[in-house]
Amino acid sequence: MTGRSAISAQHRALLTERLLACLGKDNIVLDVESQRPWECDALPLYRDLPLLVALPATVAQVKTVLQVCHEFDVPVVARGAGTGVTAGSMPHPEGVLLSLSRLDRILDIDPLARTARVETGVSNLAISAAAAQYGLYYAPDPSSQIACSIGGNVAANSGGVHCLKYGLTTHNLLAIKALTVEGEELALGSAGLDSPGYDLMALMTGSEGLLAVVTEVTVKLLPVPQAAKLVLAGFDSVRAASDAVGAIIAAGIIPAGLEMLDRLTIQAVEDYVNAGYPRDAEAVLLCELDGTEEEVAEHTATVSALLGELGASTLHVARDEAERALLWKGRKAAFPAVGRLAPDYYCMDGTIPRAQLAHVLEQIALLSKEYALPVANVFHAGDGNLHPLILFDAGNPEEIRKAEAFGARILTLSVEVGGSITGEHGVGLEKIRQMPAQFGEAELLLFEEIKAAFDPALNLNPGKGIPILKRCQEYRALPARHRHD
Amino acid sequence: MHIELHNTLTDDPRARQAQQLTRACVHCGFCLETCPTYLDQRDERDSPRGRIYLIKQLMQEGEASSSTLQHLDRCLTCRSCETTCPSGMRYGELLDIGREMAEQAAPRPLHQRLLRWLLRKTITTRPLLETGLAVARVLRPMLPATLATRIPVKKASGEPPVRQAAATRTMIVLDGCVQAAATPQTNAAARRVLDRFGIELVSARKAGCCGALNHHLSAPGDARGELRRNIDAWWPLIENGAEAIISSASGCGAMLTDYGRLLADDPAYATKAARVAALSCDLAQVISTLPLEQLSLNTAVGKVAVHTPCTLQHALGQPDTVETILRQAGFELADTRDQHLCCGSAGSYSLLQKDISARLREKKLDALTADKPALIVSANIGCQLHLHSADGPPVLHWIELLDPSANH
Amino acid sequence: MIESTDIADTLVEAVIGAAEARAPLCIVGGNSKQLLAGRHCDATPLQVGGHRGIVDYTPEELVITARAGTPIAEIESTLSAEGQTLASEPPRYDGAGTLGGTLACNLSGPARPWSGALRDAVLGLRLIDGRGQHLRFGGRVMKNVAGYDVSRLQAGALGTLGVITEVSLKVMPRSEFTTTLAFALPAAQAIDTMNRRAAVPSPLNGALWHAGRLFLRLSGAQSAVAQCAREWGGEPVSAQDAPWESLREMPEALFDQAQNQPLPLYRLSVGSASSLGDLDERCIIDWCGALRWLPSEQALSSVHAIAAANGGHASLFRGGDRSGEVRAPLAPAQQGVQQRLKQAFDPGAIFNPGRLYSWL
Repeated sequence: MTGRSAISAQHRALLTERLLACLGKDNIVLDVESQRPWECDALPLYRDLPLLVALPATVAQVKTVLQVCHEFDVPVVARGAGTGVTAGSMPHPEGVLLSLSRLDRILDIDPLARTARVETGVSNLAISAAAAQYGLYYAPDPSSQIACSIGGNVAANSGGVHCLKYGLTTHNLLAIKALTVEGEELALGSAGLDSPGYDLMALMTGSEGLLAVVTEVTVKLLPVPQAAKLVLAGFDSVRAASDAVGAIIAAGIIPAGLEMLDRLTIQAVEDYVNAGYPRDAEAVLLCELDGTEEEVAEHTATVSALLGELGASTLHVARDEAERALLWKGRKAAFPAVGRLAPDYYCMDGTIPRAQLAHVLEQIALLSKEYALPVANVFHAGDGNLHPLILFDAGNPEEIRKAEAFGARILTLSVEVGGSITGEHGVGLEKIRQMPAQFGEAELLLFEEIKAAFDPALNLNPGKGIPILKRCQEYRALPARHRHD
Repeated sequence: MHIELHNTLTDDPRARQAQQLTRACVHCGFCLETCPTYLDQRDERDSPRGRIYLIKQLMQEGEASSSTLQHLDRCLTCRSCETTCPSGMRYGELLDIGREMAEQAAPRPLHQRLLRWLLRKTITTRPLLETGLAVARVLRPMLPATLATRIPVKKASGEPPVRQAAATRTMIVLDGCVQAAATPQTNAAARRVLDRFGIELVSARKAGCCGALNHHLSAPGDARGELRRNIDAWWPLIENGAEAIISSASGCGAMLTDYGRLLADDPAYATKAARVAALSCDLAQVISTLPLEQLSLNTAVGKVAVHTPCTLQHALGQPDTVETILRQAGFELADTRDQHLCCGSAGSYSLLQKDISARLREKKLDALTADKPALIVSANIGCQLHLHSADGPPVLHWIELLDPSANH
Repeated sequence: MIESTDIADTLVEAVIGAAEARAPLCIVGGNSKQLLAGRHCDATPLQVGGHRGIVDYTPEELVITARAGTPIAEIESTLSAEGQTLASEPPRYDGAGTLGGTLACNLSGPARPWSGALRDAVLGLRLIDGRGQHLRFGGRVMKNVAGYDVSRLQAGALGTLGVITEVSLKVMPRSEFTTTLAFALPAAQAIDTMNRRAAVPSPLNGALWHAGRLFLRLSGAQSAVAQCAREWGGEPVSAQDAPWESLREMPEALFDQAQNQPLPLYRLSVGSASSLGDLDERCIIDWCGALRWLPSEQALSSVHAIAAANGGHASLFRGGDRSGEVRAPLAPAQQGVQQRLKQAFDPGAIFNPGRLYSWL
């Protein structure tokens, strides 16, 4: 059980009445049938229904919801676009699901200072689209960028294909506005490059909605690179491809993107979108170089020569934009392409030191045999972020169990070689049981103290992100109803 | 996603088809931000992913209320989400099933049913529609301005083509329902342009509405009747060597390409329907293969804003064919935004979901006219009429620009 | 190369002892920054300088891990041998500046707007908290979003949350080629120019205005730098005449030192394109406009008001009254969170009391 005593019917009715009065009936969702589409994020393996869904349209309304929930001491789970893959915005059964999707205004773009100030529900790509008229863009590009909200990006510290060179969300923020669990405003960061006191913006970024509710974000914009070239290289072994990644970086070049796909993924992608990857390769590297025309020409020549020396079995520079787009399309379609090989897939997100790649992939192959589940590997090779996709059938409870156990073993393996259980997806509910693999009890207790410094009653997104040991009521084996009911 | 069918639905072929279709969806949510109604409402239930979930719930519970139906109704079936979807979800097909079953689970009130019935009957029956339009034109001065501007002005269709050369190729043209009554000049222009290239357009007198309206208003029985009637009307022409069935309204063209799927379970028609679907294409797909430089055109008409209908880009997969044609023909195109978003016309949608439709129309007009075009062109009759406004640029079918005998 | 020594156990014991005795500690690395960045701190020194040495460095991984007392200069020379560098260009303070202290103060050089601060390069660290627990956060990999970003929180915390003992940093390849261009321009025009230049693709990675001259630094592939320099024109400045080294180490050295009594030095962090009016002419304008160094006798509150009107904040960087506040005040809600956060890390309030704010 949650340890939290279930809210009484009377209390619930009062809460509902108050929120209805503040938001109006069209912005509160009460019945189960209507709530159902909010019961999960992009990891539908985990589901639950909230007390109610609130759809505020203004920051003032968000504040009201928080104040009322604080008064009634009920949990609040903030949700952006619901594109997360860790059940991080799965509703709490005793709490309010706070949808921030209606805070969707782009407030200001300053082309000279190269900043955009937007409400939390604006999608990542919408910022770049609005900045495009000034030749600017917002650099972090998680694969869900077409839909994911900037507030969600802050909560997850989202990365993307280009983050080796351009950084994660935390490197591309100037300021955020947030509301505390009591509904008090926090203005963090500044128009400058730092702010006085503790860097609470750094702490908030990647905090998975556990510390405060982000309402407004000011991001840095960069000039759109003048040129980009994509080099495709096929290798006869994962180890050779992995060595090539190290060699490119040792040569002093930071590619804009550096991706690796293994054999199973290559086959799946070619069957699905015909991207033009060499089917006979054990691993494919995609290396994108961007910058000014001269820089890109120079670096493309260096990288091509280097990959040739390192024994690439296929080596090709995309001839034009159309071919570059097609080669990237293959990478971007990798998940759905692999998804066609089985009814469901489970995506892991460990990071490892690159030098450990061959070892880790060998271990994963052994685990794949042990659990009798196929696995395909897609890898942000530049920054050591591995995405093994475990193939299974969610219609079969035994396979679900095996897929979860397999996934947990991969995460433990990542930590053992000096990496992390999550590079960019976050912990959410999905990986909370793996947190003790990466952190000792003392670190986990300090996380809990940090949580309490913002949210003493633990009402913001409880049960996610960090296991609660001391206060104990939330940390538990997941109740069965959270899982594949 | 996996759907565990409710025990009352395990033998329902529609439910099983829905179950099969839904397997493609991974619930990633990429579709949200390219869905016009989600952008309007910002409510998960008005997104493709939310609607798939509502349909999933209907299949699992075996029941649904009018709330589910309301959100399914709000879908434009523009299929922008299908273009976005990374895993190939056939959302439009699922939605048709969902609507039909939700309507049975939560029957509409009488006045709604009556309105829908009237729409289906009047619009798809050409004499009724023509009469209606004639009456409306007479009454125009007495109608409120917003309504009055939407009534298409009667425009001369021009002369039939004067044969330039012996026609060497024959294609069937779909006359359809609304377009034939409201803007007969479109197909007349198409005939003249194609004639220049030795292509003769023939129509079958007994063919009529393509069936889309009934199909999307959850009247699959009536729709199938229209499909069979059209197939019967065209079959002799096909046997006679017509090489294609073209539509100058992309909404109808998209429906034609679905004939095979929709009659796949009808042994008497399955083969013929598949053949019709394979032969059908949009006018733009034909024109784009022709040497347009042979036309001597007056291209000094000012900047042209191209509106690419959803059916042309998302259903037929032709996102830039019209733009390419006009650019090659020498027209100057205006810059536009958000080409992937629906204008809000969407067949009967503009009549059934007036508020959302009106907002989408405003947004679309803003996106089309920011660069101050002299003309807007579309490729679908519904959009063309919907986007027409008293104070905005005229809205034509793009083929009219290629018609040497026309003056715009 | 200086000897590598691990005195973590000694440090932990010292912290436990101080916590038990409720005797505050003032954390000292190379003793290079005691008189700047923070308030005056009066407590028993805890010497961290002896905890030094590079623990791990794998150039192909772009990661270096070193003990907190390791001088920045030593790290730089180790990286330099492999053609790599700390992209944030932190000051070395004649070899006295240490890794821990530099992170605690989050000091960065002129490349900051393009290459990030030391804050941005932190991948993980070890920290002794106020209970004497030696904790580990983050890691040695580029991406890691498990748990709160405690590592980055230490940047700019002035050691008030714990004793940093070891840091893992992302490092970058050193630029192949660098050149500096100068333009004679008044401040207002220079601010506009530097921001316009930064808004188009180029190898720009330094933009400074001082005393009537705008300096732009180009850094990257030789062909790209040469092409950009041709396009932008200006007067080429030789490496030894370029201001970047002084700017990195001690910006005030650029001011006219004729005055006998140097004025207190304020640091204004503002929107990069903002204008402080006539005041700009008296500033050193670094970070493409986002950082303005202003010598002034005015009180913090009035200097801060100017910065705040431009979206930023001011701090008293060096000189002046260092027993009063040297940073801008915080809104009550934020102050409350910061106090509770301090309490979470350091319940006995033994680390650097009052160094960041009088109330921390």
